[in-house]
Amino acid sequence: MTNENISDSVMNTDTDSSAASEIDKDINSESTDDNNSSLLDFDDDPLSATAVSKKSLVIFFLIDTSGSMKGKKMGELNTVMEELIPEIRRVGEADTEVKVAVLTFSTDVKWMYQAPIPIEEFEWARLRASGVTSLGAAFKELSLRMSRTSYLNSPSLSFAPVIFLMTDGYPSDDYKAGLKELQSNSWYKFGLKAALGIGQEANDNVLAEFTGSADTVVHAYSGGQLAQMIKIIAVTSSQIGSKSMTLSDETGRELSEQDVFSAKQKLLGQQIQELVSSQTDGDDVPFDTGW
Amino acid sequence: MTELEIGQEVEMKYGGTAKVLSVIGSGGQGTVYLVRFNGMKCALKWYDIDKMKKPEQFRKNLENNISDGPPSDKFLWPKYLTKENEDGTFGYIMDLKPAGFDSFVDILNTYKLEIDPLTGHAVKRPVKFASLTAMVTAVINIVNAFRQLHRAGKSYQDLNDGGFFINVNTGAILVCDCDNIAPDGSNFGIGGKPGYMAPEVVRGIAQPNVQTDKYSLAVVLFKLLFRGDPMEGEKVVRDVCLTESSELKHYGQNAVFVYDPDDASNRPVRGIHDNVIKFWRIYPDYIKDAFIRSFTIGIKEPTKRIIENDWQKLFVRLRSEIIMCGCGRTNFSSMFIQPDEKTFKCPKCGMEFTSLGFSNRENRMPLYLGCKFYKCEISPDSDDFTSVAGELVENKLKKGILGIKNCSDKSWQVKMPDGKMYDIASGKGFPVWQGLEIDFGGVRAYI
Repeated sequence: MTNENISDSVMNTDTDSSAASEIDKDINSESTDDNNSSLLDFDDDPLSATAVSKKSLVIFFLIDTSGSMKGKKMGELNTVMEELIPEIRRVGEADTEVKVAVLTFSTDVKWMYQAPIPIEEFEWARLRASGVTSLGAAFKELSLRMSRTSYLNSPSLSFAPVIFLMTDGYPSDDYKAGLKELQSNSWYKFGLKAALGIGQEANDNVLAEFTGSADTVVHAYSGGQLAQMIKIIAVTSSQIGSKSMTLSDETGRELSEQDVFSAKQKLLGQQIQELVSSQTDGDDVPFDTGW
Repeated sequence: MTELEIGQEVEMKYGGTAKVLSVIGSGGQGTVYLVRFNGMKCALKWYDIDKMKKPEQFRKNLENNISDGPPSDKFLWPKYLTKENEDGTFGYIMDLKPAGFDSFVDILNTYKLEIDPLTGHAVKRPVKFASLTAMVTAVINIVNAFRQLHRAGKSYQDLNDGGFFINVNTGAILVCDCDNIAPDGSNFGIGGKPGYMAPEVVRGIAQPNVQTDKYSLAVVLFKLLFRGDPMEGEKVVRDVCLTESSELKHYGQNAVFVYDPDDASNRPVRGIHDNVIKFWRIYPDYIKDAFIRSFTIGIKEPTKRIIENDWQKLFVRLRSEIIMCGCGRTNFSSMFIQPDEKTFKCPKCGMEFTSLGFSNRENRMPLYLGCKFYKCEISPDSDDFTSVAGELVENKLKKGILGIKNCSDKSWQVKMPDGKMYDIASGKGFPVWQGLEIDFGGVRAYI
């Protein structure tokens, strides 16, 4: 597994090989022979460039909209998400086109928009809460869409997606079955996963099962914390996700694939923990008291 | 991490305080604030020392850089160090980016986002070089800035597209983020940005130095001219997802230039790398050869990378080969038809341009209204590529008569249509004619 590479075939195990052959068709690399026609080709203005080809990054937000999120939690979440989008607009710089997709889950699972939207054009549609917590169904739906033939269909290169889960309760369906399906998806395997538990009911162990490690799971017990944590995770994960890996090895030894495997996920865990530990606890009233 | 509050006063190490006015932006190493210091608005970079590996050494290096001063006025250089906080955090003050400069990132994106103050919506405003001369001048300026830095014995370390501001109308540049600059051979924990980093740095077998700067410089120049990634072609795109291990492979262990003449495995892909495909056909061979060398032999042998002085000469030549035709077509002379050795003909409108030969080089300079040549081109000892020495102008009294104006501070000897040599003083001019000869005092030119 550690040496696994996401190639066309691996990425499309869930669909079939038709997508892979489609990609092969798309790749018409330039042949080097001719050059003589260029003098008569008038589309040769050295200044008429299009934007540099970018890598693509999709940030998936998986948001619990079950009934228990009603009120302050949902109000806080909607507000912070509205504010967050403009803040991370420039994160891709000249290298990466960042898109956002939002999947909500309560009794049903539902995408906010029918395809990932470029972050520059993304507008947050305020969410409402009602129903139960179908996390397993959300995992299945995410796995279905994380495919070259669906939401991850950029013709150019992609970075592995960022997947950010926010929930306030214990799943009401068989989340393990859904997670198992998701875990077989290569985009998930290489993706950057983080999760936020909201209030006392959210189970950090379930969340760590999803992210694959405890250090990318954080918890918010108040409105102030919720806003802080969403920003910390979203900003950090989109920064790391939209960039190439940072190298920090100082041994002077040649790096191997094992050295860099999952380097971004480790970095994410490290940075989230550092940022979380430096946050001050506000005097906000906890979500779970005063009802 | 200690963040600064708006309104907070920060004490400087050698006296005075800076008052924090607002946040300008934040990056990997810390946050930049707008401050008022000595009655002037400045930028204050405040570090997040938790993210630094060697904060003490970094601070000492910064202090050395401040006392050494910038290698030239092209650097937005650190000016004053702050006092250290109790927890060890610190920062420094630099000038604000002057108006009229756009970031290299925006140039590569071809637009910048501006927030409409009325609606709050982000609006895209195009960012594009005003002329081909401005673009090539920007390249010369970038190369020259790094030549000056390296001559001062320092390396930039993490050269990338975030490190420059460019004036798209003039080609003037400003190198920013100068705080990682360090004496060649030292490193304070900065690796760099993959895609810009030299393969040996990506692989972990070398630390940033002057030689790795040269690789990064070639990437910056390639991106500016060809608007794409020199190592991203078919081989890389086939990976679909750029994981950490595929980056290590394609930018480190097995980096292959998209136009490697001996390895066609990584050619640009139509529909994705259209800029590179289009622009590679436009540039003359001597420019393409320099990039081929940088990204083939230069990958494995750092000492074979193109030195800044050679880049500078190549691009000064390229600038002298631009033709702006009256029909609106602007391109390099290699993209014009050459009916004979001395003439270039526009393939679009048929207009012909004669050219000037020089005794110190083989390539001829096409003459068109408004074209200029520079001091370094007529004076072998000069490195001055910005002072205009001569310009092709129309005689103000005799419409339609074109001539060369002496914009230099020296007199030239010029052969006039009567066959005699005349002394042409600074500010004077002479007609362009079939038997024209110019003696600049050492270098000679002729039609």
